[in-house]
Order: sequence, then C-alpha cells, then structure tokens
Amino acid sequence: MLRGPDARLRLIVTLLIAVLLPIIGQLVRLQVLEHAQHKAEAQELVERRYALPDPPWGCITDRNGDLLVGNIPVYNIGAEIGLLRSDMAREEAARALAPLLNRPETAILADLTLRPEEEGRQYVWRPLAYSLSAEASQSVTLTRYSWITIAPTWQRHYPEGALAAHTLGFVNSNGEGYGVQAAQVRFLQGQRVENIGEVGVDSNPLPDEMASSQGLPYPGADLRLTLDRTLQAFVEGELDRALQEYNAPSGTIIVLDTRTGDILALASRPTYEPWRFAEVAAAGEERIFLDPNISIAYEPGSVFKLITVAAALDSGRATLDWSYQDQGRLEYGGIIIRNWDGNSYGQQGLQGVISHSLNVGAGRLSAHVLGGDLFYHYVRAFGFGQPTGVEVRGESAGLVHMPSDWDWADSYLVTNSFGQGIAVTPLQMATAIGALANGGLMMQPHIVAERYYPDGRHVTISPRPLGQPVSAETARAMTGLMVRAVEHELTQAVVPGYRIAGKSSTAQIPGPGGYDPNDVIASFIGYGPVPDPQILVLVNIDRPQVPRHQRWGSQLAAPVFQRIIARSFVLLGIPPDNFAAAP
Amino acid sequence: MSVLWQQQTHGVPRRSGQLNRTLALLLIVAITLIALLGAAYLSLAAANVSLSREVWQMEQNLVRLQRENQAIMVEVARNSSIPVLQTRSTALGYQPAEAVAYINFTEP
Repeated sequence: MLRGPDARLRLIVTLLIAVLLPIIGQLVRLQVLEHAQHKAEAQELVERRYALPDPPWGCITDRNGDLLVGNIPVYNIGAEIGLLRSDMAREEAARALAPLLNRPETAILADLTLRPEEEGRQYVWRPLAYSLSAEASQSVTLTRYSWITIAPTWQRHYPEGALAAHTLGFVNSNGEGYGVQAAQVRFLQGQRVENIGEVGVDSNPLPDEMASSQGLPYPGADLRLTLDRTLQAFVEGELDRALQEYNAPSGTIIVLDTRTGDILALASRPTYEPWRFAEVAAAGEERIFLDPNISIAYEPGSVFKLITVAAALDSGRATLDWSYQDQGRLEYGGIIIRNWDGNSYGQQGLQGVISHSLNVGAGRLSAHVLGGDLFYHYVRAFGFGQPTGVEVRGESAGLVHMPSDWDWADSYLVTNSFGQGIAVTPLQMATAIGALANGGLMMQPHIVAERYYPDGRHVTISPRPLGQPVSAETARAMTGLMVRAVEHELTQAVVPGYRIAGKSSTAQIPGPGGYDPNDVIASFIGYGPVPDPQILVLVNIDRPQVPRHQRWGSQLAAPVFQRIIARSFVLLGIPPDNFAAAP
Repeated sequence: MSVLWQQQTHGVPRRSGQLNRTLALLLIVAITLIALLGAAYLSLAAANVSLSREVWQMEQNLVRLQRENQAIMVEVARNSSIPVLQTRSTALGYQPAEAVAYINFTEP
C-alpha cells in the first residue's frame, strides 16, 4: 500500500517512463538504427522510374507552309497483369477488351496470363495495343480496369499521302530510317523526360514530383523544306504518265533552283507509302526505300559530254573555234569508240559535239586536248565521286575511276568523256549542270530551308556555294551551245516564249557481262529561261519498253522535260522572254 | 485558508512564487513560438502543395492542348491536300490552265 503523495507521484512517473521508454526505443530503432532500410522500402513503394508522355516530333512543311508530315495523337494500351488475381477476371477482361482493342479474345487472354517465369513478381507489365485512336482509348478508360495503363503517344501522318515519299522518308522505333526525316532526326525528335520520383497508383508522377522535375518534354523542331508540293505533285504525275506511256519500270525527275540549290521537286518511281514502311520491310523490299535520285548511281551517258566540253573550254585548251575531223571512230587505250549511230560527221566543232552528241568528239577532247590530269581535275571540281551533302539519308558518292586507282584503265579517259565507265547520282548530275546555269558557281543542293524550334528560335539554311568549277565566261559559252542544241536538234524541249538550254542522253546500262544490248536510260537535262536561268530539270526514264528506233532521250525524256519546265515557269511566276516589264 | 495549503499542493511543497511565474512565462513563450512556427510551416507546405497542383494542372492542360492542336493541324492539312483539292475543284468544274497569258500593269 502506497502511503503519502511522494510515493504516489514516484509510482506515476515510473509507470509513465515504463510506457514511454519502449516507444522511444522503437522510435530510435526505426528512425536511427534501421533508417536506411526503411527509407529504401518506402521509396520502393512510392518512387519509381517514370516517363512523361512523348513529345511530338517536329512537323515538316513545304516551302509555302503546307503540311507534309504531321502527328496524330494516339494511345498505347498496356496492362499491369500482376494485379489480375483470378482466371475469371482475366477471361472477363479479355472478353470486354477484344472489341475495343480490335484483337482476338484469345490473344488478349494470353497477354493477360502470367508466364511461369513471372509467377510471384509483383509488377508485370505487358503491352496490349499500340496507336489506338482517342475514341478507342476513351472506350478502354470507361472499362475502369485499374490495372490498365494508357500511355499517350504520337503517330506520324502524311496528309498528302505518298507524295515525295522518298524525300520525306520515315524513322522507325530504333531511330533508323530514310529520307529527310532520318537525316534530320536529331532536330525532329523531341526530348523525352525520364525520372525516378514519387508516382501515384496510376504510375503517373505526383503533382509535387511534376512541379519539382525538370519540366515538360521538349517537342522536336519543325522543318520547312524547299519542296513545292504543287510542283512536286505535278512532277510525280508527269513521271507516272511517262512510265505508263513508255512502259518503263522506273524513273526519276529532279527540279532544282539553280541560283540557290533549292530542290523544288524530287520524284522517283517505284515508290512506297511511308506510313507502311514496316509492311514493306517485312516483305523484304527495303531497297525501295532508297531514293534513286540520291542513293543509286548510274552511268549518265551523253549528258556528261557537257562536263567534258566545259572542261575543255574553261582550261583554255579549246576555244569555241576548236574543230576536228570526225571519222566516226577513235582508238584509245586499247579500245575503239564509235558515235552513237556509227556514222562519221566530218569537220565538227564543240557545237557539233553537243548538238549531235558525238562520242568521238568528246573522246578527242578528254584524251587529246585535256589529258587525264586536267579532265579529272574538272570531274572532281564538278563534284563527281563525292556526296553533295544534301540533307537526305543514304546519299551515294557515285564512282569515279582516277588515274591513280589500282583498277584504272587508260580507256576510262575516253569512255568517261561521254558518260560511260563513270557512275553518278541524278542529283550530282543536276548539281554539276546547275553550275553552268548559275554563271559557273555550283550551289549545294539542299532540301531544308528553315528549322523552327518550339522556343521561337528559327534557323534559316542559307544557300551555300560548293565551288566554282568553271568561269562565268565558260558557263555562258556552254549555255549558248546548249541553247542552240535545243533550238536546232532537240526541239521537243522547246518552250514557246522561253529560251531553254539542254542536252539529251540515251545511256547504256552496264551489267555483269557488259552493256545491256536491249535496255537504256533515256534522259534529258536542261534549264531556263536563258539568259537568266532559274529552273533546272533532269528527267531519267529507265528501261523504256518502246520500239528500238524510238528509244532515245530526245524522244522520250525531252517531251517530259518540256512539260515540267513549262509548268514550273507558270507555278513559280517566271514570265516569258517577250514579256516586257511594266515601265 | 491555512498556510500549509498555500505551501503544498497534492502534498508537494511549492517553490517560491517568483520562480514559478518566470518558468510559466518562458513555457508560454516557447509554446507560442513553436505554435507560430508550426502554423507558418503548415501554411507554407499547404501553399506549396496547392501551387504544385496548379502547375501540374496547367502542364496537363498544355499537353492536352498540344495534342488537340496537332490533331487539328493534321485534319486541316488532310482537308486541303492536293488530292482533296483536285477532286473538289474538278467537281466544281475547274480545269487545268492550258495557256497562260501575262499582262503588264503600270504601277499607279
């Protein structure tokens, strides 16, 4: 029996201490001794790696701002299947989701079932459907399954369909692809935000976490291309028409602004639908992704004579008065070359070499007038054997044999002079001839005009000269020769009211056993309006299946060239020569 | 009242009255300070959470608007694409221009 107030007070204090001590002890144990362990456990519960919704890729427009590639908001659906406890729940969910995800019920059930190696794991996530529309995603939300995850993302969309498919290209989920999109992926792709932080039950970051994080994902930069979609559509229509008319399997057309190097249209056939790249790849037809204008080299044939003649003029080794006796054949380097028709043309000058497309004349110029060193100096100066640097993935450098190469043969010097034994891309050819149109200054062909960043900055890609392979005087003389060739020999390319400079070619196609005896590439390259050329057009029609006597560049490619350049003048507002500006 | 009652409470002798008053004052001041600090902290934390939520909602709105904007852009582009315009203009009776004439206008 406790007696007295002191004793009672001591008892109360003792009891209180007895109660408080274990509590304090536990607190010390939890908060001091086992602090690290419990902190880690708590973090494991609320902190997880999360990714904010992907930012949109940059859009691509043509030179006038018309959208060529955009983004459609779509949703990826997944499931935290570790949270599904019973078979009945899985079956019911599969039944409900099948019509919404447009997938067989059995396939969804298989996805919702844990595999043996996953048994016992708390978090097992599996994708159920990709790229669902907003409406379909809303229907999935209404099922109110707590284990469903809906991740907003984007799908590339091409409002103009397959227009400029090769040029625009695509990028797959690994960041690989073709066309301008693959070449500019570092600008087009936005910056994702991935962090470790506190997330809610829906695996999304909590508001506090969002507020303290580095911010929202950064969208990609928009690109404005130099392409003109109206001209591109017209050019593609003309190419389709020509291939159908001439029963040809493939062809390419380039339209270039010679003053700036802007690519106004770039068409290739056969083509593909860029949004179906996965199906094309699955069918093993990846080769179609390569743009023949840029990635596939060919032997250009007679249009290369323009390079040979320009080199002879510019070097001073030949003047406009230069002439030779054409006997229809030339022996050099162990081979004999002949003119395209096997005929001899008698006394001929530079005009004859271009107008009559004389192989013998071109061979004489390279072998006897220029010599190997000088000829190949000009070939390199015109950019052959090296990529142009255009902003499209997979550009080919072409193939130029140099006298110092181990596989060099003397005969290359004459065959190269008229475009055989040398491989170039159509874009290289257009760029080189563009120099003749632009006073000898060769502009880098480019397709990206401007980049617009989401923060308001924009970068304009200025025209860049690649070099001056020939003087302005030589370029003017060459233009004169080409204009006379069109006006007298290649009248199919004449555009009423405009002066056009041009050259046709009917190039043989090399194969394993020599040149194909049946097939050719019919082409035409030209520019106008002279004397202030602005537009260059190159037309290549591969393997036209028409009677042999009609299988010439002047007959097949020149009319296509004529229609395209005539329409280009209208679309770009270039008036005819006889149009006097208002005083 | 007896002197004994004034000097003892529950049997414990009381200390001097001056000391008790100082201690009580200190305690009151300490408790008031702690309460004020606590209130300020709670108020700040609440404001912070509220702001975080506002920021979060604005960011969500931004993302939603961004998605709607992209969808509208694509829709507009689809409706003004060349195949659609061609079909529509043909239906309206337009034909491609065959001959283009240039006319001089004198500037006023």
